[in-house]
Amino acid sequence: MESVNELVTILPAIIIGFAGLLVMMLDAYIENVRLVFRTTTLFTLGALGIAINDMFGHSGEAFYGLITYGGTAAFGAVLVLIGTLVTVILSRDYLEKTGSHIAEVYSMILFGTFGMLILVSANNLVTLFLGIETMSICLYVLAGLVKNEKKGVEAALKYFLLGAFSTGFLLYGMALLYGASGSTFLTDIATLDDKGMIYWAGVALLLVGFFFKISAVPFHMWTPDVYQGAPTTITAYMATASKSAAFVAFIFVLSRALPEARAEWGDVIWLFSILTMVIGNVLALVQDNVKRMLAYSSIAHAGYILIGLAAGTDAAYSAVLFYLFAYTLMNLGAFGIVAYYEWHKGLDFTEVKNYAGLGFKQPVMGVLMSIFLFSMVGIPPFAGFIGKYRVFAAAVDEGLISLVVVGVLASAASVYYYLRVLINLYMHESDPGITLIRPGVLYSATLIILAALTIYFGVKPGDLTNLLGSFKGISY
Amino acid sequence: MLTVLLIIFGVAFIAPWLHSILKEKTGWVLALLPLGSFVYLLSHLPQIAAGETITQSTTWVSMEFFEINLAFYLDGLSLMFGFIITGIGTFIVLYGSGYLSGHTDLPRFYIAVLMFMGSMLGVVLADNLISIFVFWELTSFTSYLLIGFNHEQEASRKAALQALLVTGIGGLSLLAGLVMMGFATGHWEVSALLNEGEVVREHAHYLPILILVLGGAFTKSAQFPFHFWLPSAMAAPTPVSAYLHSATMVKAGVYLLARMHPVLGATETWMILVGGFGALTLLISAWLSLSFTDMKQILAYSTVMALGTMMMLIGLGTELSMQALVVFILTHAMYKGALFMVAGAVDHEAGTRDVLKLGGLRSLMPISAAAAAVAALSMGGIPPLFGFVAKELVYEAALGAVSWPVLFISFAVVANMAIVAASAIVAIRPFYGKLVETPKKAHEAPLSMWIGPSILAALSVVFGVLPFLADKSLLIPAAAGVWGAPIDFYLSLWHGINLPLILSVLTLAGGLLIFWIWDGLRESAPMRVYQSAFATLPATVYDKLVDGMLGLAEWQTRVLQNGFIHNYLLTIITVALIGIGYTFLSKAGIHWNLQFADVHFYEWALTIAILVSLGIMMAFGHSRLTMIVGTGIIGFGLALIYLIHGAADLAMTQVLVETLTVILVVLVLTHVPKLKEVRSVASRSRDGVVALAAGLLMMMLIFAATAAPFDAFISEFYAEASYPLAHGRNIVNVILVDFRALDTMGEVVVVAIAGLAVFALIKMTRSGSSKEGKRYE
Repeated sequence: MESVNELVTILPAIIIGFAGLLVMMLDAYIENVRLVFRTTTLFTLGALGIAINDMFGHSGEAFYGLITYGGTAAFGAVLVLIGTLVTVILSRDYLEKTGSHIAEVYSMILFGTFGMLILVSANNLVTLFLGIETMSICLYVLAGLVKNEKKGVEAALKYFLLGAFSTGFLLYGMALLYGASGSTFLTDIATLDDKGMIYWAGVALLLVGFFFKISAVPFHMWTPDVYQGAPTTITAYMATASKSAAFVAFIFVLSRALPEARAEWGDVIWLFSILTMVIGNVLALVQDNVKRMLAYSSIAHAGYILIGLAAGTDAAYSAVLFYLFAYTLMNLGAFGIVAYYEWHKGLDFTEVKNYAGLGFKQPVMGVLMSIFLFSMVGIPPFAGFIGKYRVFAAAVDEGLISLVVVGVLASAASVYYYLRVLINLYMHESDPGITLIRPGVLYSATLIILAALTIYFGVKPGDLTNLLGSFKGISY
Repeated sequence: MLTVLLIIFGVAFIAPWLHSILKEKTGWVLALLPLGSFVYLLSHLPQIAAGETITQSTTWVSMEFFEINLAFYLDGLSLMFGFIITGIGTFIVLYGSGYLSGHTDLPRFYIAVLMFMGSMLGVVLADNLISIFVFWELTSFTSYLLIGFNHEQEASRKAALQALLVTGIGGLSLLAGLVMMGFATGHWEVSALLNEGEVVREHAHYLPILILVLGGAFTKSAQFPFHFWLPSAMAAPTPVSAYLHSATMVKAGVYLLARMHPVLGATETWMILVGGFGALTLLISAWLSLSFTDMKQILAYSTVMALGTMMMLIGLGTELSMQALVVFILTHAMYKGALFMVAGAVDHEAGTRDVLKLGGLRSLMPISAAAAAVAALSMGGIPPLFGFVAKELVYEAALGAVSWPVLFISFAVVANMAIVAASAIVAIRPFYGKLVETPKKAHEAPLSMWIGPSILAALSVVFGVLPFLADKSLLIPAAAGVWGAPIDFYLSLWHGINLPLILSVLTLAGGLLIFWIWDGLRESAPMRVYQSAFATLPATVYDKLVDGMLGLAEWQTRVLQNGFIHNYLLTIITVALIGIGYTFLSKAGIHWNLQFADVHFYEWALTIAILVSLGIMMAFGHSRLTMIVGTGIIGFGLALIYLIHGAADLAMTQVLVETLTVILVVLVLTHVPKLKEVRSVASRSRDGVVALAAGLLMMMLIFAATAAPFDAFISEFYAEASYPLAHGRNIVNVILVDFRALDTMGEVVVVAIAGLAVFALIKMTRSGSSKEGKRYE
């Protein structure tokens, strides 16, 4: 049986799916949250190792072309799994400290990750939809995980309703594309000669659906509410893993299914990119709540990434992948630090002004936060700079000067709100009555590794970019 | 050169540790670092003087699509800047150790100032466009840290942020310009770009490139109308002002344009923009300096004036103006550095730097007074000091301008009169006249604080009397670097009686007259208006812009992001409608393939009845339940239509699904707060219009879909295969339980799970109603 041999191509997804089931059973029969945590971590680590190995292996199609493996798909899996692993590790301490450490979190995360892994390897509209929905449903649940938190429940409901709505767009778009081309395989859709009304309507609906998933303006409105309402580590998961997965899938759809319509969707993405960068950054300026600020900042980052998609060349796609990598590292880190401050249940660390002087109380956390925020601004020598630079350079190559100018100006505005956090951390007097808990070894080690990677790939991005540049042919 | 930079950054980070060991002596030890760099640069002087250039390159990032090299390029221009940075840096480290001695944050000063020095050296030595930008932004950032050094003061923080925003945004504009230039020529190395002037100047994007680069240079070098940040930045401790905001960082813009002159310069646009803004800045700021009494403010505006002069000289673009430029840069660094340090010393020892509250300090602070006097003479352009040589050259260059020489020379003369007066004010008012009671009992500053100004002042004399010491070795290669071709000249104090000399005499006389009437002039109404128009107004505009941006963001939050899911949906649907509708209509004409002939009357009636009753219910219903029931009716109506067409199974599925959905939604919605407000007719009509448009679009999509040719392949397959393969006569049954049995099982499971969920919800509502209900009240 050919399919059985092909199972190895989706090994990370299988491991994660199995782990999800296992964890659920463990929880039902043993009820040891620590054990569940350890199992989850181990399996995720294993899947991550395999995915990393897959990046260097060969790539191709499997399961009659329903999925692709290796290359970009494997890199997408690595992004998702890094996000998952860090989320899981950070979640333990965070949820324990905030008093809602329940084992369902881990199985939900694992199932969500399973969806994302399917999503990043999808080569068919149906696979894509399955992945996206598996992911989304788990995220709806995770958003409302802390039930006694009114904001969380509200966020979850909003997320669910709006998400269901956007799924409608997505599904309708897929149906129309299928109607127009007679196939759900991405590459078959590309071969369609006669592009009638249905085709264009389908493309438009599909784009709307994706814009919602990557929270491009004006489909972003759920993002701040949900990011603020959800438990912080879960927010990190949504902001990094799910977004990376959606972007990778978006790249596949654009490059495999719709290469012929590049001129048209290029213009559309151009417009939404500008909207997203401008509105995301401007709104981030006035946020006093740190999580909300990071939510808007992630919207703004989606805008920068859209620049790369608008350019639509191989170089641009590989730049976007690098950007996603840098984005994953620095956002996980920043949310991790915010989560750490939230450990202190009696103290209110949601507003940026309450961060006054905290930088000196736990110096390691302060320095790490500075690194992550500087990377988000795009200041060298951090990975964020290389990402931004490569995306902008690829866009300039395609003559999208206006887009890059807006991007650069928007980044300039972003300095203001990122630095505001640092100014509060370091330049304001702290309340002497506040003492911070020492973060655990695993927690701080994870964040330190993220920071180290942020710096490493900012100083030596060469190897990774060469690897990303080598993903060609079927992977795109 | 990379090694030098790395050492500087490395030492910067261990500075606090050194400080904890060496205590007061730290400054003297750390000063060895800039001194060592100075000596290192000095070792290259013979090569440069011989007309050579040095390049060193290390690959930093190597990627498939591009690579970034850490390349360094040393020629006369960068060497001169390097000397200024390291030379004055040596004195500043010493001076800072005295000025801030006993300050708890002194180690922080060392870190920031050394990092700044490394970055600034990086700017002038870097060969790669991207490296230049990186170092450029690092100087902005370290400047931010240094201006905000006294971070407990609101004014310091505000000034720091202002400087960062203005120069930071300028820096990004510069990045855009540099990247465009790199792509236009395909070269990323300055040394290679220097030969590509033609390509850039004739490129279609020359104007945008020029404007973007100028945006970076003008903000950094505080040109009008961006000059306002520099005087505010005087909130920094004086060593910082002396170093960053006079001698080095603010000259980064000048350096960049001087460096880019062979590439971008020598066009009419260049002359008008660079020369014009330079001349404007020169005139405006020179007179602004007279409207203040704070020594640092006076010096700050005179610095802006000097920067304007440099810009003007670059803009003039003649061989003569390049000579004047390099001489002026060097002399300005010497006298202005000295004057700032003296001003700081006065502030430090006497407790104020308001010239009105100072006087007669000469006897108490003799060394500082002497240094100030010499430096001020140089600034005023009095022979035999180096400043005189520079001013003569500036006048000559202005007279030799290709166009509008009269305009440039009159600007220069009028501005220099004010500068003569300003230098008299800072050198005479605090030190001469009657001894005035000061907040602190004044005495001479410590050695570390007077050594710098004294040496710099002495150099002004040495170079003035013996100008040949500098010209052949340093200034000629530097001017050649700006000019882009070999250049030859010599400096001398005495050029005979010529027009510049006559103008100098005129300037001096005018300046002294102004000094004489300064007290009256400063308080006069025109001067007040002038100050508020050119000093306060740009800063106010900046404040308004920042406020405006924040205001816009708040407004957007209120309007768009107000937390009501209803509004979110409205926006999402509207945008999707516009986008999809536009694509749909613009991409293809609409083909109507409508066959209404076989639609029966009762079908019409049924449809219309459903729609109308539903519309009424939705539009006027005030509770969620009504609305949900309304949507449920649509489903049942649909089922009815299926039934009429004989699709009993489909109708049944529809009824089941619809029932389940309605129940689920109702159960969920009991957990949601009641609709409180009755919405206005306007907002209801707006929603109605959007809903109607959405419906219309969907209808069009369906029509479009029916217009597509129908492929009967699958229907025929099932019709033919159901009996031979599955032995069933009812095709639908066969499909459900045989061909697609797995799907059916899946559906059954879904329905079962949904049923379970309904059960759980009902139980939850019953048991938890008291608790849950309260929470949402």
